[in-house]
Amino acid sequence: MKMKKILAGLLACAMLASMAACNSSSNKETQAASGDLPLIGVTIYKYDDNFMTYTRTAMENAAKGVATLNMNDSANDQSKQNDQIDTLIQKGVKALIVNLVDPSAAPTIAEKAKAADIPVVFVNKEYPEGTDKIDYDKCVYVGTTSEESGIIQGELIASAWEANKDAWDKNGDGKIQYVMLMGEIGHPDAEARTTYSIKTLNEKGIETEELANQSATWDATKAKELMETWLGKFGDQIEMVIANNDGMAMGAIEALAGNGYFGSDGKYMPVFGVDALPEALDLIEAGKMAGTVLNNPLGQGTACVELAVNYAAGKDPLDGTEWTLDDTKAVRVPYVGITVDNMDIAKEAYGLK
Amino acid sequence: MDKAKKQQITNFLLSYGIYIVFALMILVIVILDPSVLSLNSLTTILTQSSTRCMLALGVAGLIVLAGTDLSIGRMVGMGAVLAASLLQAPNFERRIFPNLPSNWGFIFLVIALVVVLLACASAVSGTMVAKLKMHPFIATLGMQLVMYGVCSTYYNWIGGSPIGSLNEDFKSIAQGKVIDFGGGANLSLLVVYAGIAIAVIWFIWNKTTFGKNMFAVGGNTEAAAVSGVNVDKTIITTYILAGILYGIASVLELGRTGSATNNLGVNYETDAISACVVGGVSFNGGVGTIGGVVLGVLLLQAINFGLAYVDVDPNLQYIVKGLIILVAVAIDMRKYVKKK
Repeated sequence: MKMKKILAGLLACAMLASMAACNSSSNKETQAASGDLPLIGVTIYKYDDNFMTYTRTAMENAAKGVATLNMNDSANDQSKQNDQIDTLIQKGVKALIVNLVDPSAAPTIAEKAKAADIPVVFVNKEYPEGTDKIDYDKCVYVGTTSEESGIIQGELIASAWEANKDAWDKNGDGKIQYVMLMGEIGHPDAEARTTYSIKTLNEKGIETEELANQSATWDATKAKELMETWLGKFGDQIEMVIANNDGMAMGAIEALAGNGYFGSDGKYMPVFGVDALPEALDLIEAGKMAGTVLNNPLGQGTACVELAVNYAAGKDPLDGTEWTLDDTKAVRVPYVGITVDNMDIAKEAYGLK
Repeated sequence: MDKAKKQQITNFLLSYGIYIVFALMILVIVILDPSVLSLNSLTTILTQSSTRCMLALGVAGLIVLAGTDLSIGRMVGMGAVLAASLLQAPNFERRIFPNLPSNWGFIFLVIALVVVLLACASAVSGTMVAKLKMHPFIATLGMQLVMYGVCSTYYNWIGGSPIGSLNEDFKSIAQGKVIDFGGGANLSLLVVYAGIAIAVIWFIWNKTTFGKNMFAVGGNTEAAAVSGVNVDKTIITTYILAGILYGIASVLELGRTGSATNNLGVNYETDAISACVVGGVSFNGGVGTIGGVVLGVLLLQAINFGLAYVDVDPNLQYIVKGLIILVAVAIDMRKYVKKK
């Protein structure tokens, strides 16, 4: 009985301590806000997404000295994000930066913001009908087009294939026999990258043959297991691995290395990813990965803060920035294909240079 | 006579029904693509089952206690992220902690650290269940969230980027091969570790007083307490044992994958718990065998592997796995009803 009381007491203490920790950080925030910096509310669709982690670091760096950010993790739950938006509006933020969980929820968010007359910058997840179709004049989108990442990946593969055709075309039939590691099914990026990478290759006159195509839900461990399965099934028939992101490409490379590739005997398999994560850059440098596509987190993070700060000051969002809006009210931050020849661009985007 | 025979058939179906379902599914997979039957497939399935087997062995003890553990995946993630941050290759230029040693002694120290950390975390869950009489579902749900929060905070603190470029010596612990049969087929070290874990846990379950107490508490807590079993101690020890297994599995999972993010391990508890259920460990407590758990893990992984091999639509794969679990639990409940 006494034991129980002590335990319950300890639990209560731990809880109080963690609350105190949270409290001290929010205090810091209000102090900064009172120092005349505009308060901007930010919701991120999911904190454990690698790319968004870089983007949010870029946001925090861009906001230094110009704005105070109130960051929220929507934990991949749109209704949670809606609640967070309500709270931020209640708190009196001057502008919102919203990384939607569900892209089609954009009008709902815009409606809430419109009612409170708070401008919104959507980032990285785009309303499928186009941001210009949302009934609110003070909202813009910062991001890329999903198709473009697939197209750039296709172009990257095409030029690499042309340069290495003799070595990579194992059976000499002129076609690429590939396996595709797909992201989450139904995810717009996964669908677009899968379709447009191959479409771009075919449009450039390179024939392709799909040996297998499965979803590894962006996950390295799952990708590794799928790659092991395929190596058992197809063996040397596989001429190329195309992954929707670098995480899965890294898993595939691990499986290949375990099956004697990239060793001293020169057995090689070209693996392509998307994201240009620092870890992937290391693999490219080590000759284990053929290429990736940089989805520029520095550009996206900086752009959305710049636009939100302008909005918060009551100015035109593009005022004094290098960005332009296209006809769907979107700022497009370009993708860049990365190979061993131009890695510095990616290193700079991640602040490694 | 007729009735007795009917009874016999019912009993047979209740005991082996789930295995018949598996046999049929494997048969369908083989018919769809006969090339799946190869030594390479077998060794791949064994290797991929190894870490899952350790997790299932851990949670099996908790299910025997009529409990469960929802924190497995996040515990594995925590252990893997911590170990990855400490075990990067010595010549890697962007090492998170540039001045750490990288010799074998340090590698084993880190492994021990992860095992102790997860054993302690699991002991906290166990203490909440035993002393505060919390339902294991809630206690471990809380632990799941705390673990994920701690892991993500640490992950962000060290840079928030996937941690790779691991120490090659460390990776060789998880990726090493004992026998190479050629053609990609091999007996991996992971399978050996899983074998050792199975033997040790079998011994603990069947040959020690603690093992007997565990089944007694799971079968009927009051009766066990009356007959002099220290119920609280048994529960906490079972959780610690599970935590040790999670710790070992988490470093091996890291070594096998070669990189870690804070999302590593998500939902691993569902795989481990389903394997136990398929293997006949009853959610009502007090019933379960090591052989059943191992068979459950292997069958589920064989189906996982087979479905991917014959290129089944991933959405359909979820449905198949869900149905397997439902059938297994339905059979388990029938057995339980009959016993009563």
